[in-house]
Amino acid sequence: MRSTTVKNGERLYLRYAYNDLSRNKGVNAALIVILILSAFLMATGSMVIERLAGSISRLSEQGKPPDFLQMHLGDYDRAALERFAADHESEIAAWLVEEMLGFDSASLTWERPSTGENGDLAASRIDNLFVTQNAEFDFLVDWTGGVVRPAAGEVYVPVLYEQQYGLTAGDVLTISTDAGPHRLEVRGSVKDAQMAASLSPSSRFLIHPEDFEALARAGGAVPEIIAEYRLTAGSDANAIQTAYEGAGGLPTNGQPVTGQQLRIISMISDGLVAFALVFISLVLVAIALLNLRFVISGSLEDEVHEIGAMKAIGIPDRAISALYLTKYSILALVACVVGGLLAVVAANALTQSIETSYAQAPVGIWTFLVPLIALAAVYVIVVAICRGVLGRVKKIEVVNALVHGSTLDEKQTARRAKREARWVRRTGLASSSGAGVNRRLALLDLRAEGRAWVLVPVVFGLTAVLITLPANLVSTFESPQFVTYLGAPERDLRADVQFQQGVDDVKDRLVAAMADDDRLTDVQTYAYVDYSADSADGRARLRVEVGNHVDGAIRFSQGGLPQDGQIALSILNAEKYQVGVGDDLTIDDGDESITVQVSGIYQDLTAGGQTAKMPGEVTEGASAYTVFADLADDGADPAGIADEYGEQFPTAGVKPTQEYARETLGVLIDSMRGAAWIALVFGLGVAVLITSLFLKLRLTRDRPKMGVLSAIGFSANEIVGQVRTKTLLVVAAGTVVGLVFAATAGQSLASAALAAAQLGITDLTFIPNPWLVYVLYPLLLLGAGHLGVALLTAGIRRADKSQWL
Amino acid sequence: MSQGTVTLESRELSKTYYSTDPPTEVLLGIDLSVRAGEFLVIMGASGSGKSTLLYSISGMDKPTSGNVTLEGRELTSLSDAEMSNVRLTRMGFVFQQPHFLRNLDVRDNILLPALKGAAKGKDKDAAIARVDALMERFGISHIKDHGITQVSGGQLQRASICRALAGEPSVLFADEPTGALNSSMSDEVMDALTDVHRDGTTIVMVTHDPGVAARGDRVIYLRDGALVDANEMGPWQPDTAQQREDDLLTWLRELGF
Repeated sequence: MRSTTVKNGERLYLRYAYNDLSRNKGVNAALIVILILSAFLMATGSMVIERLAGSISRLSEQGKPPDFLQMHLGDYDRAALERFAADHESEIAAWLVEEMLGFDSASLTWERPSTGENGDLAASRIDNLFVTQNAEFDFLVDWTGGVVRPAAGEVYVPVLYEQQYGLTAGDVLTISTDAGPHRLEVRGSVKDAQMAASLSPSSRFLIHPEDFEALARAGGAVPEIIAEYRLTAGSDANAIQTAYEGAGGLPTNGQPVTGQQLRIISMISDGLVAFALVFISLVLVAIALLNLRFVISGSLEDEVHEIGAMKAIGIPDRAISALYLTKYSILALVACVVGGLLAVVAANALTQSIETSYAQAPVGIWTFLVPLIALAAVYVIVVAICRGVLGRVKKIEVVNALVHGSTLDEKQTARRAKREARWVRRTGLASSSGAGVNRRLALLDLRAEGRAWVLVPVVFGLTAVLITLPANLVSTFESPQFVTYLGAPERDLRADVQFQQGVDDVKDRLVAAMADDDRLTDVQTYAYVDYSADSADGRARLRVEVGNHVDGAIRFSQGGLPQDGQIALSILNAEKYQVGVGDDLTIDDGDESITVQVSGIYQDLTAGGQTAKMPGEVTEGASAYTVFADLADDGADPAGIADEYGEQFPTAGVKPTQEYARETLGVLIDSMRGAAWIALVFGLGVAVLITSLFLKLRLTRDRPKMGVLSAIGFSANEIVGQVRTKTLLVVAAGTVVGLVFAATAGQSLASAALAAAQLGITDLTFIPNPWLVYVLYPLLLLGAGHLGVALLTAGIRRADKSQWL
Repeated sequence: MSQGTVTLESRELSKTYYSTDPPTEVLLGIDLSVRAGEFLVIMGASGSGKSTLLYSISGMDKPTSGNVTLEGRELTSLSDAEMSNVRLTRMGFVFQQPHFLRNLDVRDNILLPALKGAAKGKDKDAAIARVDALMERFGISHIKDHGITQVSGGQLQRASICRALAGEPSVLFADEPTGALNSSMSDEVMDALTDVHRDGTTIVMVTHDPGVAARGDRVIYLRDGALVDANEMGPWQPDTAQQREDDLLTWLRELGF
């Protein structure tokens, strides 16, 4: 008997929900679209993150990348490396020295014998390193995960080149060496666990040892090595890095990297869009919840008579709430199912390039659980909020509902009457005239019913944050001033003389040439000198940039420029050496120890965020040099001059400073630009949708008022104008608040996110594109509001006005 | 317009609602003439189409076919803006529910059409003075600063009449103006309307209350969308009120009311 009653009850709820859904198609359609978008983005983001993490792990299992590596250019002492390995036998499971031959992109050309097509790789900005397959770990693998071993005369190209240039099996790759061209047949592509990240500055070509020997003999390549270490379980890569840097005599002329850093950089460069999707979906969920609250409150007020009647005949509050809750549960469930299914398609498309660069992630329990948990979270939150709002059913009093059609009790009604009386006391309508009457009425409405309209400014505020935050990040990273976050002054040209033999000679000739060049002014040299100092994990190497550091070129978060006897440290280095401004730090260059005081801590993205600066002049014996120069003529083309110097000093890496920034951040900026576009499209779509949904409900409730206005002589155009004025005012208010929030708190949020990523920036100041963020985007948002008004007020002109009364 | 000439006229006026299945024919070709200065009452059972007729001849609703002329001007062909201007300058409305804007006090609600009219060229100060005079005349000047939730139904309905008169209309339309009031408030409101009529304003009123209908000069009766009869009763006098009501009831009973 009981189960029959329950079943009948459930059927009734479902029937009620179905009837309601079919009766209010517009509102329900808008609601479900927002819910689907929220669920879709949440599921897509979580799926992509799970797939990316899986792909990175999979490739890591196949390729076995090192847990710690040190790049090096120049001679090295193999015996010292063996001693270091022996000293750390318990921590090091395996180690190797990989020899590499670096060729400039311009020296690589390709042809396709089958079609006669050909081309070169000159446009590539990536370092091209030719290597042989390793024996124990750090393997280059094919798409099945198999360790590839090319035969003599064969080459496997990085996946990136296969994607960008279409290099494929059967093509011929020609390397220009000093001894002439060396031809290799492309046999396929290889995936590289160590250099797979889009942000990675280099990539590896796999060749046979015979070809390697031949290329080494032929000349024209820059030989480099990587000392690589696989650690035993439980060993700390940072501790090994510190031990390595403090050991002395080991090759250190290059970048040290830990496995963890490789993983983070992969997640950041290839997962940024996915993280952005999750962020967008969180904003959408917030918008959807606000909307649901508004819609449910409206439904309760509209159907208060029916609710009163149900209460009067003894239907319990829970059963009445369940009538409404069923509908929203169904909407949320359908949204999660549809959003989830759409997410499968979208995630597949988004993970294709990830799987190409990394590996096909194994399908496991988490592959299904992660998006399911994300979707379940959306469903549970939506239903919980609906249940909370429906709690108001309990407070509705039967008599007030039936007689006065009010959801309020007597006390609330009295309070409301008092409030309204206060509002109307000084309306002062008599003092307005002309077109002002319409504007005045709109303003009075807004003033009195502000609470009912609050949904729109909140949604537009959130949307403004949603679309301006990524746009601000893109413009900041693209800004010419951003180089100061790269620890570099805002100068026209930059030359890096580093990681090679004879740096002093190259630097001296370059500086002399630049000083004689009338087109250049203010040539300045900074030297990189290696010291060691005590860090949290023991003795570690500290590379210090010595030169004439100037104000404004560095983004100090604390303190300022170093004077004599002082040093400025990057944020990550200040953490590493556990010092703050005013503290002393003892540094040792191998010959002598000096104690310097920390003058300031600054933000720096370069060299893994680990840099230091001291004043002074070092003309020889440094590990590397950076030379900066300005153009004498502001209108001159820095790229042309950089190219000239590049030909004259091929190992000096002369570039316009802006290009240096672009190379460092290009991939990141591209990812962020993608995220910014997604945010813009979704944001504007949601803005139109919410405006339409809000107005649909608002106009329905305002019908009596519009009927009165129509009866006393206000035309449909004037009534629509009032709606437009109100809407655009709240849209503008929300947009302004959103923009201010994005520029202030949003900036702090972005800084916190960057700080969490351990990139070396903790305090980012946005450099917005004012036309975009403060002109175009607000106009687009106003346009979205306007479109919503146009769509929803179209029916007003045609309506029989008496039906509104 | 001189007393006795036709001021408002409908010809073959029909209205069909297509939102129902099958479509509902509410008015079936109504021919109606309202004389200047006349107090015309429209009666009929619920659903007979009396309110629809009122809103169709007042230009609030567009008829499905037929035409309406006011003071010789064809209303059905006017644009929305033109029709709004006609409602603003030539018509006044009193509804069963007062339908005031909650965000304005009583005086501002009454002033609204006058201010709107002032925007169209009428003198604003004169409009304000007229409204104040109307409130004084109908005994509601003491509630002018009140919010609409702070006054009685009868006061609100008198305020409604003030609002309808604020624009100096030639025709006042009233849809069940006493429908939501008790008998004493009802009398207050009808006294006010009778006063307005004495000033020469044409009134077209819908009601189902014979006591209220007895105030009219003429009563027409609608059944199922068709005009079936009319009763010329002549000007109302307080001393003959009961007799008129009895006569009207007899006539209505004959029509099956």
